[in-house]
Amino acid sequence: MAVKIIESCVNCFACEPVCPSKAIYEAKPHFLVDPKKCTECEGDFPDFQCASICPIEGAILNSLGEAINPPGSLTGIPPEKMAEAMAELQSH
Amino acid sequence: MQLPVLNDAPAHAAEKKGGCSASSCGTTDNQMDSLPDSIREKVQNHPCYSEDAHHYFARMHVAVAPACNIQCHYCNRKYDCANESRPGVVSELLTPDQAVKKTMAVAANIPQMTVLGIAGPGDPLANPERTFETFRRLSEEAPDIKLCVSTNGLALPDAVEELSKHNIDHVTITINCVDPDVGAKIYPWIFWKNKRIKGKKGAKILIEQQQKGLEMLIAKGILVKVNSVMIPGVNDQHLAEVSKVVKSKGAFLHNVMPLIAEAEHGTFYGVMGQRGPTPDELQDLQDSCSGDMNMMRHCRQCRADAVGMLGEDRGDEFTLDKIEDMEIDYQAAMEKRAVIHQAIQAEMDSKRLEKAEKAQQHKQEPKLSTRPVLMAVATSGQGVINMHFGHAKEFLIYEASPDGVRFISHRKADQYCAGDTSCGDGESVLQVTVRTLAGCEAVLCSKVGYEPWEMLEAAGIMPNGEHAMEPIEEAVMAVYKEMAAAGKLDSTPEAVRASA
Repeated sequence: MAVKIIESCVNCFACEPVCPSKAIYEAKPHFLVDPKKCTECEGDFPDFQCASICPIEGAILNSLGEAINPPGSLTGIPPEKMAEAMAELQSH
Repeated sequence: MQLPVLNDAPAHAAEKKGGCSASSCGTTDNQMDSLPDSIREKVQNHPCYSEDAHHYFARMHVAVAPACNIQCHYCNRKYDCANESRPGVVSELLTPDQAVKKTMAVAANIPQMTVLGIAGPGDPLANPERTFETFRRLSEEAPDIKLCVSTNGLALPDAVEELSKHNIDHVTITINCVDPDVGAKIYPWIFWKNKRIKGKKGAKILIEQQQKGLEMLIAKGILVKVNSVMIPGVNDQHLAEVSKVVKSKGAFLHNVMPLIAEAEHGTFYGVMGQRGPTPDELQDLQDSCSGDMNMMRHCRQCRADAVGMLGEDRGDEFTLDKIEDMEIDYQAAMEKRAVIHQAIQAEMDSKRLEKAEKAQQHKQEPKLSTRPVLMAVATSGQGVINMHFGHAKEFLIYEASPDGVRFISHRKADQYCAGDTSCGDGESVLQVTVRTLAGCEAVLCSKVGYEPWEMLEAAGIMPNGEHAMEPIEEAVMAVYKEMAAAGKLDSTPEAVRASA
């Protein structure tokens, strides 16, 4: 049982101090979670603390490998709208 | 001593709202009359707070604060981009130790740097350890530098005590609304008491924290400036109310900035096609708020790691590997800085005096009854017209009217002439620059090339290179009088934009 930080992490440090288990540490190229220490906040908080402050959709996965903050959930940008804008930019 | 900065309308001028709608007549003098001497003293060499000082003094930001506790719809937290110039963007994140080194290196090499700010790229107060470690060390090791911090306000009430312990006499709070319904359209979420709180509920908490923080800072005697981002259709109607509220609580300056939103920034507003305000819309709002509040119009919305005079960025000269090799004797640097600051202060004082005299003369001359005119100015500082049209990265916009000259805003321009022999696609950039100056009827610079001259004339903008090295306000007034004498300024009321 542990969450995982993946490569879309932007190294903003926000999650590190809020982890109740001190399971998050600075690493290259991005922050990592020590799976031995991560408790998924059980017993401390009802929500994953790291994923509650993380600003990047998809950067933190639960133990099933699913994004805790799926696309669109934080920015409010509908994923299809984002895809459209990116496709438009790349066509230039 | 009079401090001719910051566009502010004395109460009586605000009521009549005609002709010169935001005072600053004759010159920009008397704008800070409403401020007590203690505040004027504090801001007179601060480039971000004093329109006058920004021609002479430089600032820098150190990017030590990456974490944020809220999300704003105009911000994208994937902030690492070298080619963008806007808040929240940085190239190199610094540790407090690196930040102190960099600050001292810049202070020694750019002696006119008076101010060090921490503004992100996240929220400085959401990174209290890194932010306060930097402030603590700088107030000990570089006591001649003013320290500032800029925050979204969420963590502010808890930080006021600590802020008051350092050499910090200015805090900027970004307040975009005082109404949670408006806030819900700007802030999708906040992180508060171990929870992500979305929508109106989150916005309400943020607003309460901002207002509480503002009140606590004022009670401690710390100067507060309020930044607001103008978002057409979202908070543009609401910002006059924000201005009133923050003024009543004691903020000394309100900086209404235009929304920057482009799809390529990947922000909510950018991707969703939310537009920023036009220069006219921004000016109208600033003018309408200026009756209640000192308005700031020279903000350049700089990056969270900007270095240099406002409008320029010399960050490249002070990257980590470069400062590593610099040997800084700060004691010696401080002595040199003090001498230079005194010289600048003396120059500013004498210019102010000159300006006041000119204003006095202007008052005694017969008053024109002509309409106001916008003019663009190319300058690299010192308050004079000293830049070639093609070298200008930005233009300062002034309004001349029978009441005098006032600073309105700056507009960014791409440099079309890089000084090399082949001009590449220079011409199209030139066209963009000419478009940037829409609404202006003259452009004053040290020199203008033949090609831009023709293009400017065709666009109805009179190029003028006759006032090189002259003080800006005087030159603008001189050109205005020439235009009036040549009968170019009819005075039909419908043409008088500012009196609407």
